[in-house]
Amino acid sequence: MALIEIDDLSVTFAARHREVQAVRNVSLAVDARESFGLVGESGSGKSTILRAICGLAPISGGTIRIAGQPVPTRRGPGFSRRVQMVFQDPYASLHPRHTIDRTLSEPLAIHGLPDTDARVVRALTDVGLPPAFRFRFPHQLSGGQRQRVAIARALMLEPEILLLDEPTSALDASVQAETLNLLNRLRAERGLTFLMVSHDLAVIDHMCDRILVMQHGAAVEELPREALAKAQMKTDYARSLFAASADRLLGA
Amino acid sequence: MSTLTDWLRDPSPASRRQARLGQAYLSWLRLKNNRLAVIGLGIVLALVIVAIFAPVLAPHDPITQDLRARLLPPLTAGHPLGTDDFGRDILSRLIVGSRITLYIILLVAVTAPVFGLLVGTVAGYFGGWIDEVLMRITDIFLAFPKLILALALVAVMGPGIINAVLAIAVTSWPPYARVARAETLTVRSSDYIAAVRLQGAGAVRIIWGHIMPMCLPSVIIRVTLDMAGVILIAAGLGFLGLGVQPPMPEWGAMISAGRKYLFEQWWVATMPGLAIFTVSLGFNLLGDGLRDVLDPRNSGK
Amino acid sequence: MTLLSVENLHVTFDTEAGVVEAVRGVSFALGRERLGIVGESGSGKTQTGRAVLRLIRPPGRIRADRMVFDGQDLMAAGERDMRALRGRRIAMVMQDPKYSLNPVMRVGHQLMEGLRQRDGLSRRDAHAKAVEALAAVQIRDPARVMEAWPHELSGGMGQRVMIAMMLIPNPDLLIADEPTSALDVTVQAEVLSILDNLVRTRGMGLIFISHDLRLVARFCDRVLVMFKGRIVEELPARNLMQAQHPYTRGLLDCLPRIGGPRTPLPALDRTADWAR
Repeated sequence: MALIEIDDLSVTFAARHREVQAVRNVSLAVDARESFGLVGESGSGKSTILRAICGLAPISGGTIRIAGQPVPTRRGPGFSRRVQMVFQDPYASLHPRHTIDRTLSEPLAIHGLPDTDARVVRALTDVGLPPAFRFRFPHQLSGGQRQRVAIARALMLEPEILLLDEPTSALDASVQAETLNLLNRLRAERGLTFLMVSHDLAVIDHMCDRILVMQHGAAVEELPREALAKAQMKTDYARSLFAASADRLLGA
Repeated sequence: MSTLTDWLRDPSPASRRQARLGQAYLSWLRLKNNRLAVIGLGIVLALVIVAIFAPVLAPHDPITQDLRARLLPPLTAGHPLGTDDFGRDILSRLIVGSRITLYIILLVAVTAPVFGLLVGTVAGYFGGWIDEVLMRITDIFLAFPKLILALALVAVMGPGIINAVLAIAVTSWPPYARVARAETLTVRSSDYIAAVRLQGAGAVRIIWGHIMPMCLPSVIIRVTLDMAGVILIAAGLGFLGLGVQPPMPEWGAMISAGRKYLFEQWWVATMPGLAIFTVSLGFNLLGDGLRDVLDPRNSGK
Repeated sequence: MTLLSVENLHVTFDTEAGVVEAVRGVSFALGRERLGIVGESGSGKTQTGRAVLRLIRPPGRIRADRMVFDGQDLMAAGERDMRALRGRRIAMVMQDPKYSLNPVMRVGHQLMEGLRQRDGLSRRDAHAKAVEALAAVQIRDPARVMEAWPHELSGGMGQRVMIAMMLIPNPDLLIADEPTSALDVTVQAEVLSILDNLVRTRGMGLIFISHDLRLVARFCDRVLVMFKGRIVEELPARNLMQAQHPYTRGLLDCLPRIGGPRTPLPALDRTADWAR
C-alpha cells in the first residue's frame, strides 16, 4: 500500500467573480521511502497539490490518504508529526522577527516535546549550520543558510513525509547543489519520503524516482526516471518541456 | 564601553537576551542619527523626569492660594512664570500638572492600543463573519467625532480623571484596530504563518506569537503620533470642566481658568498652552523617528 | 569597432556596516557583439550593467579610469547628457515586466508615449510604428495588445512588450538584465530567440546579464564570469566547456543533468585562494 495516495483530486479557488480550478482530477501514489517529483510550468497546479495535502488549499473533490487513512479536515497534531513542508522562498518562510532558536523550538513547544536546547543544537548541526547561528535573526543569514534552517524546522517533529515546494529555485546554482545534497543525505539517513515540486526537469531528475508532468492543473504524463533520461515520453508537452530544459541548451 | 558595544554587535549572540539587546542597540543607532527624533525623545524623557521629581522640583505648593500675590507677571522674583488669579505659582502648577498629563498618557497607552491590536488581529486572522462584526463595530466608533463622543461619555459617567481617561480610550482604539487588521491581512497569507500552522499551532499561539509582533511596530508608531491628540483631548475635557476637577493643576483646566484674563494677563493661559505644545511636539517628533526605525518596510534594506 | 569601453570600474556603497565594494575594478570592451556577464547573486553583475547607464543611486558611487560609449565620455557626461543617451542610444530590459510597465496605463499608450514626445510623431504615425514594433517581437495580434492593460498580459507577453518598447528608438546598445528569469522555460527559449534575432539583424551591441551559464553560452559570443565584484574569467562562449578557472568549472559542474549520476553534486570550494 502506498504511503501517500491522491485520488481524483480537484482544487477550486473562489476568485472574485468566478471559480478558478487550479487542480483537475489528479491522481498519484507515492510509496514509503520513495521520492516522487511533480514538474510543470507556472500555473500548472503542482504547488497547489502540496498545499492541498497540508490543508492550505480548498479541496473541491477527490480524496487524499496518508498510510491508508483519509486526512482529517482539521489537520491535527498527528498529521503535523507525520507530514512537513519546505517552502520555495527562504526569505518569506522564516518569521523575520524570530531568532533561529525561536523558529526551531516553536514546533517543540507546540507539541510539548522535552530537551528543547539539545534538539535545537542537534537540528542545526544536522543541516550543516554551526550552533553559533542559533540566536541570529533570518536577515543575518544568506539565502542558502535560511533554506537550511527551513529544512531543519521541517525535521524538528521527525516527520516521515517531506513536501518540498521548489526548495532551491530561489538559490544560486552552487548553493542549490549543496541544498540538494543535504536533502538527499537526510532522506537516506532518516528514510524520508519526498514529494517534490520543481519547474526544473534536471533537478527533479536528480532527486526523484518517478515524475508526474503537469499542465494547466491536470496530469499530463507519469514516467519513471529511466524513461526521462532516454527521452521516452509519450506526450508532446512533456517532450517540449524536455527540449526547453536549460540542461539541453549546451548539448545543442 | 567598547567591550559592551562589541557584545551588542556580536553577529553570533550566545543567548536570547543578547540577540534581543543587540537588535535594540541597532535600532538605537538608527534613531540616534535622526536629530529631530532625538529632540522628541529628549522632550518625552524630560516630561517623565519632571513628573517623577515634581514635589522636589516645584518651588511652591501648587494648590495653596495667596491672594496678595495674584496675577503677578512672569520673571517676578520667586515666580519665574508668574502667578494665576488665586496667587498660585504657575511654574509649580505646570510641574505638578505634568504628573496628571503623564498619568493620562500612560493609562490611554496601555488600554486603547492593546484593545485595538486585539480586535484588529483577531478580525484579520479569522476573516469571514468575525471580521465583518468586529470591523462594523469599529466603524461605528469611527463615525463619531472623537471629542463629541468623549464629551457624551463623560457627561454620562460624570467628570473626573479616570472617566476622562476611559472616554479617551474608548474613542481612540478604532484606528489601532484598523492598522492592526491591515497588517494582519498581509502577514496572514505569508509562508512563515503557513509553516507554523502546519506544525499544528492553534489560533491563539499564531495571533499572539507570530502575527502581533509584526503589527506592533506600526501600532507603536501610531500611538506616539496619537499621544499629541490624546493630550489635546484631555486638555479639551479639562478646559470644558469635564476632566480633572479644580484645584488639581491640569494643563487644559489651567488654560480654561486663564481665559478670562487673556488680554491683560496673557501668561496665565499661555504658559500651560506652551507646555501642551512642547509635549505634543515631542511625541510627534519621536513618532516620526520611530517610523524610520521600526517600520518593517524601511528596514532590512 | 569599439562601441563601449570600460576600464577599472568600481561601484561602492556606503552602508551602516561600512563601505561595501559591489564592483571592484572591472574592465571590458564591447563591439557590435553579444557579451554575456555571468555570476551568482552578489557578484556585481547587475551593478556593472547599471553603472554603464550611471543608474546607481546614492549611497552608491561609481568610479572608473575610463568609461566611453561611442566616443562620448560617460564619466564626464552631465545628468542631461545621460538622459539623452538612456533609452535612445542605450536601452535596458529588466528582469520582471510586472515592475517595468506602468500598471495604470494601456500598453499602446506606453509604447507611443516616447514616440510622440521624443520624436514628435503624430498620433497615427506613432500608432503605426508601435504596432510594427509589437509585430517585430512576434506578437500575433498587435492591435489587441495595444489596447490591453499590463496586468492582462502573461509574463512572456509582458517581456516581449518591454523588448519592443526598448527597441523602438533603435538603440546601439541593449543591456538585458536577467530578461527571462521570471519566465517559464518554454517561453524563455522563445523570448530569447526573438531578442537574439533582433539584435543580430539590427547590428546592435548586447550585454546579457544572467546567473545561468548555459543560457548565456547559448546566446552570446563572449562571456565574462564575475565573482565578488571581479571578472575571474573571460572566454568565447563556444569554448565555455573548456573553461579553466575553478569558479567557472564549479558553476558548470554543480548543476544536475538529466540522466546524470545520482552521486552528490560537486560543491563549490569557497575557501580556495581565488575566492578571497
